[in-house]
Amino acid sequence: MTLSLSNIHKRYGGLHALKGVHLDVPEGAFYALLGPSSAGKTTALRVICGLETPDEGAVTLFGQRANDAPIQGRGLAMIFQSFALYPHLNVRENLAYPLRRSGLSSGEIDKKIGRVAETLNIQHRLGNRTDQLSGGEQQRVAIGRALIREPQVLLLDEPLTNLDAKLRDAMRVEFKRLHRELGITMLYATPDQLEATTMADQIAVIDDGRIIATGTPQDLYHAPPDARVAQLVGSPPVNLVPIQDRSTAGTWLGFAQLAIPAPEGTVCAIRPHDLTVATGEADFEGAVVLTEALGDVSVVTVQVGDAQLRTVLYGADAARVRIGDQLPLKINHAMYLPAAQCAQV
Amino acid sequence: MLWPSSRTSCCATRIACSKPMEKAVNQATLPPKLPPAFERKVEVRGFLQWINAPERRGALLVTPALATLFLINILPLLWSFGLSFFNYRANRLTAPKFQGLENYTDLLGDDRVWERFVTTGLIVSSSVALQLLIGFGLALLFAKKFPMRRLALMFVLTPMMLSFVSVAIFFKLFYDPTLGMLSWFISLFTGESFALLATPAGAIAGIVIADAWMWSPFVMLLVLAGLVSVPGYLYEAAEIDRAPSWKRFRTITFPYVKSLLLLALLFRTIETFKTFDLVFLITEGGPGSTTETIAIYAYRLGFQFFRTSEASALAYMILFVVIVLTSIYLYVVKQRNASEGV
Repeated sequence: MTLSLSNIHKRYGGLHALKGVHLDVPEGAFYALLGPSSAGKTTALRVICGLETPDEGAVTLFGQRANDAPIQGRGLAMIFQSFALYPHLNVRENLAYPLRRSGLSSGEIDKKIGRVAETLNIQHRLGNRTDQLSGGEQQRVAIGRALIREPQVLLLDEPLTNLDAKLRDAMRVEFKRLHRELGITMLYATPDQLEATTMADQIAVIDDGRIIATGTPQDLYHAPPDARVAQLVGSPPVNLVPIQDRSTAGTWLGFAQLAIPAPEGTVCAIRPHDLTVATGEADFEGAVVLTEALGDVSVVTVQVGDAQLRTVLYGADAARVRIGDQLPLKINHAMYLPAAQCAQV
Repeated sequence: MLWPSSRTSCCATRIACSKPMEKAVNQATLPPKLPPAFERKVEVRGFLQWINAPERRGALLVTPALATLFLINILPLLWSFGLSFFNYRANRLTAPKFQGLENYTDLLGDDRVWERFVTTGLIVSSSVALQLLIGFGLALLFAKKFPMRRLALMFVLTPMMLSFVSVAIFFKLFYDPTLGMLSWFISLFTGESFALLATPAGAIAGIVIADAWMWSPFVMLLVLAGLVSVPGYLYEAAEIDRAPSWKRFRTITFPYVKSLLLLALLFRTIETFKTFDLVFLITEGGPGSTTETIAIYAYRLGFQFFRTSEASALAYMILFVVIVLTSIYLYVVKQRNASEGV
């Protein structure tokens, strides 16, 4: 393992930010740390790079215990949410910043800057002050500054949060390309499940200071270990329905009957795209209360009894649906998941 | 009988133009003959109404302030500027005679004036340098968190809030050869009393120390404002980028503080250049005239030798120097901003 955390605890005064975090990042992985805001993502990254010392537990880097290793000696680079570019230096000086004490000649430094600038397509901006750059360019400079001394591990703390939606799409592709080309280990903290699932090959879901699930994006999406993970992975978010009546014959959800019996202590989770407009016999009917058009698909919220369910409609269905319509719906697939303690449906 | 008719007329006037007609109604309802005193009162009230009208009210409200400013500030300023071209002496009754630029040429040709300028420059440069150094150091100290920080900050800021007179008297006593603390402390080692202000160099040092003691907190406040505006994540990024601490200071901290430091330099240079009270109370310009600053010389010219016109001319020369200093500062700031593309 390139990097691992075991049983890390971190407290800030009365706030228990990390409550026993275990994390193993294999070499060369693109590893996402997915969690809602204030779940402990940033704290975990700060502990790894040495800006914070953990109260308990062990940080292991490249097979060696690194709890008290100096920040400079850890061989890590980090990209901050705020980019943290040095405002009084120009782009070239920002890129050169981590190199000045590396013993390289100025010619070698120039060559490195040229290479990084070319990779990130900012060659024409080297002489500019950082506040003259657009958000995307600032982001690229931040990436360049992190990559220029060729770290073995790159930590990214919500690097796309400060960018607009279009740039975010472009930068996602960019990060993926960089990872493929450089082959370095990347640990990527994000609150956005789309970023995590599209880029990472492994995801750790963190919530309330604990890692609650790890796995590939597919695993976490199709077979989440509990209801909270199902909520955090997947967009639009999963429908969680409390089970009204369990029996060996089937499961009663309050508005629809499922044939497979549900185990004790579970809730029923239905992905929005597993809920489709019935062509034949419908499982239930719901009244449309909200439609969100996303182009060729629409996310439609229907009301059935007390429950509100989201479904995804495609093509003609998406164009036709209006608020107030009664939709006949069919449940194609449902999961019974243990209700997590912190889940709020 | 009166009520209905007045009411209808009121309604009618409101549609047309209200004011004159309402007056007419008022006059109609008043008794036909008024005593003369009462009529005068109505006149006064009319004037007050006229001057209190919304379009005149703004001017009315600023007039007292403007008048005061003009009388006690602008008029004497212009008056003294005029005086500087005459041979007026405030203790003579003879009519002043116009003599053009003679006061100015006399002063510029006077060695004593140049000596005073040199003395002032010496005090200003050493005091301001000391203030910037101590102020910067204190700011670096107070930018960190430590126990009792707020209390310590309060004590450090106290000198700045004292009046010149109390600071001057405090230092005069502190330096006093027979009962001062400094003399007592040095006599512990030498066995003799010590008169700091007796030698020219010692007197200048005494003034510089008093001035720096009083005004270093001011520099500290300005620099501290710059220091706390540095975002913490920059230091974290620099640490991860393996920058040593002196480099973090040079590339992150100092650029944030630089412009405020320049501002402190300007403020303190101008203020110290004009210093009068502190020097006058501590040394009265002595020993001899070795600590006589240009401001004290202007005072002596005006109020001890009663060469009023010459003193006015000297005051205008001081103003000129201050304006030049300020212009240089503004020029430097503008150049820097232009080169940084702000």
